[in-house]
Amino acid sequence: MEETPHQQYSEKEKQDVFNHEFMPHIRSMYNFGYRLTLDQDDAKDLVQDTYLKAYRFIESFQRGTNAKAWLFRILKNSFINDYRKKSKEPSKVDYQEVETYYNSEDVDRQITPDLRVESLKDMIGDEISNALNSLDVDFKTVIILSDLEGFKYEEMAKILDIPIGTVRSRLHRARNLLKEKLSEYAKTMGYNKA
Amino acid sequence: MADLNSPFIKSDGTKCTCMEMLQQMLDTEVTEEQREYFKKHIDHCLPCYKSYDLEMTIKELLKSKCCGNDVPAEVIDQIKSQINQKISF
Repeated sequence: MEETPHQQYSEKEKQDVFNHEFMPHIRSMYNFGYRLTLDQDDAKDLVQDTYLKAYRFIESFQRGTNAKAWLFRILKNSFINDYRKKSKEPSKVDYQEVETYYNSEDVDRQITPDLRVESLKDMIGDEISNALNSLDVDFKTVIILSDLEGFKYEEMAKILDIPIGTVRSRLHRARNLLKEKLSEYAKTMGYNKA
Repeated sequence: MADLNSPFIKSDGTKCTCMEMLQQMLDTEVTEEQREYFKKHIDHCLPCYKSYDLEMTIKELLKSKCCGNDVPAEVIDQIKSQINQKISF
């Protein structure tokens, strides 16, 4: 996030910032933590760690700036440093492949021509949630930040410490992977009309 | 392909393709002028209309199915109690 000079807050001001700027985002934070860890207990720990870190480093936060993005960045870093290491399959995205994909002339191709709106509307169970969960964590993260939380490219670039161009290409790739996954579900539901 | 009046312009000065316009719309990285243009564009571009409809349906599904977990009350209690402990030291 932006390099902001350290703020000088009184104890009361710290409490105000914490209660009025940080705590309102706890539901989004918990949902983000849950999607990353896919475990309720890990999500609880991650959110708790994030808020305690946010309090400890509260003087790096400038009042009135984007608290939600600041908190998401802390949670994402905590996840990478503390949780991802111990996960069964540390995920790795082939960024070269992503960039090559995005920059190729093939970018306009329709990847899932058989996925239809009608079949999506019949997905009333956990299909969409399972499809999202099945994505590599880096792809899942950009979908969550953009589609569920409404962050802009610039905010996502700061949360994830990546250039805006990479945000854009990763999001593009993530949407296509999600569609591929949904297309597989649609086929198992009998919508194999390709 | 976008026409000459398209307000979707890349950094190199060329016009965006349909897919590029669509992505900007989905990522909500558009101006009001671009949004209006795209809405008119999909009235006569069936591939764009179909893709946009599909992508927006996915977005709505995501929103309705993937962010509905309430925070367990004990998480909030634990955070508050730990912060209060820090303050009292």
